[in-house]
Amino acid sequence: MNLSRRTFVAGAAAASLGGCDSLYSSLSRKLAGGIPEKFSRPEGSAIDPDFLFLQRSSFGPAPGDLDRLRARGREAYLDEQLHPERIDDAPCALLVRRFESLHLSPGNLLEFRREVVEDELARATLLRAVFSRRQLFEVLVSFWTDHLNIFQGKGDCAWFKTAEDRDVIRRHALGKFRDLVRASALSPAMLVYLDGRQNHKERPNENYARELLELHTLGVHGGYTQKDVMETARALTGWDLKHKWGRGTVEFHADRHDDGEKTVLGTRLPAGGGAEDLERLLDIVCRHPSTAAHVSAKLCRRFVRDDPSPELVRRVAAKFTETDGDLRETVRETLRALEPGAPRFKRPFRFVVSALRGLAATTQGKREVRQYLERMGEASFQYPTPDGYPDEPEPWHGTLLWRWNFALAMAKGKLEDARIGLPLDAPESLFAHLVGRRPDEGEREALSEAGGPEQALAMVLAGPAFQWY
Amino acid sequence: MNSRRGFLRSLLFGGSETSVVTVFLRGGADGLNLVVPTFEKDYYRLRPTLAVRKTLELDGRFGLHPALEPLHGLYKDARLAIIHAAGSDDDTRSHFEAQDLMERAGRPERGAAGGWLARHLRTKPGSRGAISAVSIGPTLPESLRGAPGACALLSIEQVALPEASPAFTKALEVLYAADGSGPGKAGQATFRLLERINRAKAAAAEGYPDSSFGHSLREVARLLKAEAGLEAACLDLQGWDTHFGQAASFEGLARELAGGLAAFTKDLGSRMERTVVVVMTEFGRRSYENATFGTDHGRGSVMFAVGGPVRGGRVITEWPGLGEDFLEGPGDLAVTIDYRDVLAEIVEKALGNPRAADVFAGYRPAFRGLTA
Repeated sequence: MNLSRRTFVAGAAAASLGGCDSLYSSLSRKLAGGIPEKFSRPEGSAIDPDFLFLQRSSFGPAPGDLDRLRARGREAYLDEQLHPERIDDAPCALLVRRFESLHLSPGNLLEFRREVVEDELARATLLRAVFSRRQLFEVLVSFWTDHLNIFQGKGDCAWFKTAEDRDVIRRHALGKFRDLVRASALSPAMLVYLDGRQNHKERPNENYARELLELHTLGVHGGYTQKDVMETARALTGWDLKHKWGRGTVEFHADRHDDGEKTVLGTRLPAGGGAEDLERLLDIVCRHPSTAAHVSAKLCRRFVRDDPSPELVRRVAAKFTETDGDLRETVRETLRALEPGAPRFKRPFRFVVSALRGLAATTQGKREVRQYLERMGEASFQYPTPDGYPDEPEPWHGTLLWRWNFALAMAKGKLEDARIGLPLDAPESLFAHLVGRRPDEGEREALSEAGGPEQALAMVLAGPAFQWY
Repeated sequence: MNSRRGFLRSLLFGGSETSVVTVFLRGGADGLNLVVPTFEKDYYRLRPTLAVRKTLELDGRFGLHPALEPLHGLYKDARLAIIHAAGSDDDTRSHFEAQDLMERAGRPERGAAGGWLARHLRTKPGSRGAISAVSIGPTLPESLRGAPGACALLSIEQVALPEASPAFTKALEVLYAADGSGPGKAGQATFRLLERINRAKAAAAEGYPDSSFGHSLREVARLLKAEAGLEAACLDLQGWDTHFGQAASFEGLARELAGGLAAFTKDLGSRMERTVVVVMTEFGRRSYENATFGTDHGRGSVMFAVGGPVRGGRVITEWPGLGEDFLEGPGDLAVTIDYRDVLAEIVEKALGNPRAADVFAGYRPAFRGLTA
């Protein structure tokens, strides 16, 4: 990870021989260009269960994914996706490698212009979602990005988010929950975003402590009190970022740490713990039964259904507890519980990415595409409050108009940065490929009345069925 | 279930909610010359060349700049209220700090992240449609950061399906009409919105200033009259940073502001009963003029509020005075009414959001009797 700036510039220069953009666009064509000559489409009148499995464990099936899943079997496919390091993802890695800022330390990031840093991370996020073969990993990155939300608009978060995405979210998305939360607690981004760096023994700042309990671990009804919040804040006093030399480096100031005795959720932290208070605190909150329940309920909602049964949540929480917060096993347990008949409303990011993937589109993740996400209110890392972009459908209902415009623009070839790779075959077959079932009578009628193959494709993407997954 | 009820309500009644329009005077507008304290001898002493000597009488103490004449009628009709010596607690006198702070209306600590209008829209019960909040311009302002259903539009012509043929639109509408789910209903509401916008497109009123500000006001008026579910709109009027030769630009800006607001009020007609326009600026200007016939960054300035819920015809102020002992820092009108007092009263009383305390988290506003 510690590549110097110079190596990178050299690498980028080498990669740009012959015109950077054309090279990358041919690369992304090649990535998407793995369109098989023949691939199966779902054929039933209800959503194909394998298709559903692909939808939930990825940002949407691409041509040929269904055959790959069926050839391997669901368990083996899931196991592979749960071990992203075993999946060769070199083409996607090459696509995002050109973004120099992604590889820099928090301190070095500060040397860049804000717009460059924000733009590169947003582009990389979209490109990975579209092109990575480690789809489940990308979906989990998105889940934990919401769970441990950072808003780039606050202070230096515009720069630090890039490091946090890499060192916190991506490093631990399939690791241990406690490691994830610890990395987040000690990340420059979180210390700035939730004011941890302002938390001194003389003037404790409860902001992070409260969200740690309410959002990151136990959940709002997790059984903690205002006193627990205050005690948690005390245990976290003294963590700050270097101001001058070595900006962006996290350090512990013993002199600002409240070294008295604390009691958090009934457990005593003896006086004199110093920086170790953080470790004890994490043991308490990450292993609390409410945390297992809270995290499991969120996973079940995201991956299984909007209203998961208490039994399901209990089962996943038991796995979480039994494995000491092993996220790989917890997610495996969650995805095994997939059931038909509980469609979820796509958020705008998923809507756009699933269209690009399904149509094997080439894109470089430029503003032209991302501005649709801005318009629909789901630009990456732009959600101000720590609860992250909402997961329930209602807040997103107002985005349909802009989805329809995206569908029309893309299908009619008006988007330069979203070129469809898939040949436009019979509308009904396209519908099945994108939605996971045959169109019903009303849908067939709409497809035939749309006015040509491009309009029919736009009708699929704009219609109600494609808004679900 | 609240959101569903909100939906039904908006479908049935086509909007019965009050909307807010903010006008931000960028650059720090000189409140002392917009609304002149005619009773202050010090005012004339501090501004030998810039003092406005002929004003339009308000309440015996204050007078309007003559270029604001179109607002005088609104004041006399008790539709316009003036809040003087208002501002924020930010004393950096930096445009960006002060504007950001004002648009966020709170330090971005717990519960106060994003803009104040975004927090209002997020905490207000009911669901938001496709264009619940707009700014007219290329980007969203800070005050709408994080707002559901907010979009930056250049004109309402953008609320459309430009690539769709009539046959396509019809077929898509049929598909959504057949879908009984939440998104199905949202789709139907979106088609209704498009129809309303289409009707509004025909009706572009006259009388607005021929400027980007005038254009923006007209677009917002069209959206409001279309009952398209618009709850908040943000407009800017740039150019108030008058360090040099203030008289030259100031009068034109004042004319543009007043002419625009008067045209907007007339254009909206009865819809103005469910609209509040609030005019604010990041800070006022120094009490005394500088060597280049301008004024430097100061503190307190003036706010305006106009609309149905506003109890107008009054200058609301706790006037701090312009004597040496009362001025703040290098010689600035002190801030005696926090701008959040004004905004919070609008949010709670005029817009009916019971959670104003969450919108202005960490601040306890004092209501000033601005609303009826």
